Amino acid sequence: MGDNFQNKTMAAVMMDYDFKIKTQNERSKVEDLFDYEGCKVGRGTYGHVYKARRKDGSDTKDYALKQIEGTGLSMSACREIALLRELKHPNVINLIRVFLSHTDRKVWLLFDYAEHDLWHIIKFHRAAKANKKSVMVPKGMVKSLLYQILDGIHYLHSNWVLHRDLKPANILVMGEGPERGRVKIADMGFARLFNAPLKPLADLDPVVVTFWYRAPELLLGARHYTKAIDIWAIGCIFAELLTSEPIFHCRQEDIKTSNPYHHDQLDRIFNVMGFPLEKDWEDIRKMPEHATLVKDFKRSNYQNCSLSKYMDRHKIKPDSKAFSLLQRLLLMDPNKRITSEQAMQDPYFAEDPLPTQDVFAGCTIPYPKREFLTDDDQEDKSDSKARQNQQQQQPNTQQNQVQQNSHDHGANNAKRMRMTGPNQGNNTGGGQQEFHQQQQMMFGSQQQGGSSQQQGNYQQRF
Amino acid sequence: MAGNFWQSSHHQQWILDKQELRRDRQFDLNILSEEEYQKVFNFFASIIQVLGEQLKLRQQVIATATVYFKRFYARNSLKCIDPLLLAPTCVFLASKVEEFGVISNSRLITTCQTVIKNKFSYAYGQQEFPYRTNHILECEFYLLENLDCCLIVYQPYRPLLLFVQDIGQDDQLLTYAWRIVNDSLRTDVSLLYPPYQIAIGALQIACVMLGKDNLKPWFAELNVDMDKIQEIVRAIINLYEMWKSYDEKKEIQGLLSKMPKPKPAPQR
Ligand SMILES: Nc1ncnc2c1ncn2[C@@H]1O[C@H](COP(=O)(O)OP(=O)(O)OP(=O)(O)O)[C@@H](O)[C@H]1O
Ligand SMILES: [Mg+2]
Repeated sequence: MGDNFQNKTMAAVMMDYDFKIKTQNERSKVEDLFDYEGCKVGRGTYGHVYKARRKDGSDTKDYALKQIEGTGLSMSACREIALLRELKHPNVINLIRVFLSHTDRKVWLLFDYAEHDLWHIIKFHRAAKANKKSVMVPKGMVKSLLYQILDGIHYLHSNWVLHRDLKPANILVMGEGPERGRVKIADMGFARLFNAPLKPLADLDPVVVTFWYRAPELLLGARHYTKAIDIWAIGCIFAELLTSEPIFHCRQEDIKTSNPYHHDQLDRIFNVMGFPLEKDWEDIRKMPEHATLVKDFKRSNYQNCSLSKYMDRHKIKPDSKAFSLLQRLLLMDPNKRITSEQAMQDPYFAEDPLPTQDVFAGCTIPYPKREFLTDDDQEDKSDSKARQNQQQQQPNTQQNQVQQNSHDHGANNAKRMRMTGPNQGNNTGGGQQEFHQQQQMMFGSQQQGGSSQQQGNYQQRF
Repeated sequence: MAGNFWQSSHHQQWILDKQELRRDRQFDLNILSEEEYQKVFNFFASIIQVLGEQLKLRQQVIATATVYFKRFYARNSLKCIDPLLLAPTCVFLASKVEEFGVISNSRLITTCQTVIKNKFSYAYGQQEFPYRTNHILECEFYLLENLDCCLIVYQPYRPLLLFVQDIGQDDQLLTYAWRIVNDSLRTDVSLLYPPYQIAIGALQIACVMLGKDNLKPWFAELNVDMDKIQEIVRAIINLYEMWKSYDEKKEIQGLLSKMPKPKPAPQR
């Protein structure tokens, strides 16, 4: 750089002054349009979420403003914007608008505000249970929740989008208003198109997933993400809704970050489900970590475990329709696990009470509204673990109740691990992959010297 | 988003009307003739192509970057942002959206420098690539705004593969049509027609080149607007005609200096 560089540089003006001024004047700033100061309601790994109102009073609705962590367009921000821009379904969170703040290079996403989420809802039930109180909710609420989750996921899956981070905190539920009691699947930052992986996902940003909702094949090193992995997570959420306990709860301390294989999590799954029989999951032998599994686990240790016993202990009868659907969602063999479409056809949903659009079915909503996080919580941003602890310990009566029930209150921000992620599945086959490499032009190469003929690699690749 | 072109932002917002497109380009077309305008785009599409190849991006990503580039200038004059800056910015953004993984800023700039120096000296002489990371990042925000955050672009490659499968796998036909689709990025067709129509247009041209008359019934059975297909075919054939008598190495410097350019802030 330096002087030498200056001399040889083209005297280029990157941007037209009038164009710049004109766009600047036309651009609306998030802080001009919305009030949100002091109204932070959520803090995740990838951003801060504020409850916001329009300043001009043109409507009095609540909005959620998500300020993406860091500056500029990270890859996950790009993906979140790219996908949400295209997706439109009543059970998928709706991206209303994107604000780009040029001065501090912050990216803001504007969403409809969802007053509740399944993490808070389940926590409320658990607290009540611990205090031997009961919560009045409509009989069909769990069914309605599950149905809408399946509906949203079916939409995503049929558009070749995988969620990959389904957990209670990412399932939002709308509060009072025109969409009362409607499920909104959120946090699509990691959703990826999976019909045409251009690059093995392991080479992209390290994957971050909560382990309690991870399918067994992932824990055994599966290299491909599939729809079945989302279905497993939905099964976990269903069980948690039925019992108020995370079904595959597991201590998170000694999770190895670089390895998908996680002994304790598998142990927990087997303790609930029993150890899989060869005939139930034939391809288990093909899993990358199968040898480790054989070495580390003894079938005889899980002789008396089964999902029906576990659920029975939690007062869900093995002959109920709910149990039978749960069992189909939580099949160990991913190939046997049902699809979202099949799940929506399950007799459970045809049985009384039928699922309702408003999951609260018009009843009073017993759950508290989101509380604002105080600035005290806003410490060292670089240490997300500390931040998460802080968030869990914010003083708030609901949470204090839950503290007694100490084993699982990390659920929301259950420690997120960086892992070498598996690839996406459903590859359309080698031929297509190859063809994506095809850069040769029909005539371009011969006709225009110098511009696009450096693709001599055509021959080798084709 | 493969299953859903009809609901996509591509279909709903970015299939432009020919007349409208011409109107929006009026400013530039007062300075450049239509043919000159196309030659300028052809040149920057080459820069995007070569940059993408140097960065080892797949054709799908390169195609998306090229469409971003065209979409930006469909709504803005060439003078608004220097295309030499917008081109690598499009590559940068497309690589993030298409899941290629983020290209490091320094690698992007270095690649721009070497590509301009080694492959495009016939256009830029001894001049170096003048931009740095901060320019790209600033430009990226403007690009995203002008794209109205529509980042998922459907390309003709997938429909092309499906059509060829339907015809009965014919590798030669596919190869030809694939290259013609690549060439089509140098025309306006990606702004004007849905990708499946472009794929059919490319197949038609490929059939003519290969003398495959036997596919006539296959085309006849397609339920598509054949007038549109003919427009696409014409646009691509026109490009080939233009290339026959065009020596970019001789003409491009003149075109680049004639092209409308950004004006700096008025001096006070
Ligand atoms: N539309 C919304 N309305 C109300 N609250 C929301 C909304 N979106 C997100 N939140 C709250 O903010 C939290 C963080 O949001 P989100 O999950 O989108 O961010 P994230 O950084 O990706 O989080 P994570 O750590 O789960 O990946 C959510 O758990 C939820 O409590
Ligand atoms: Mg979240």
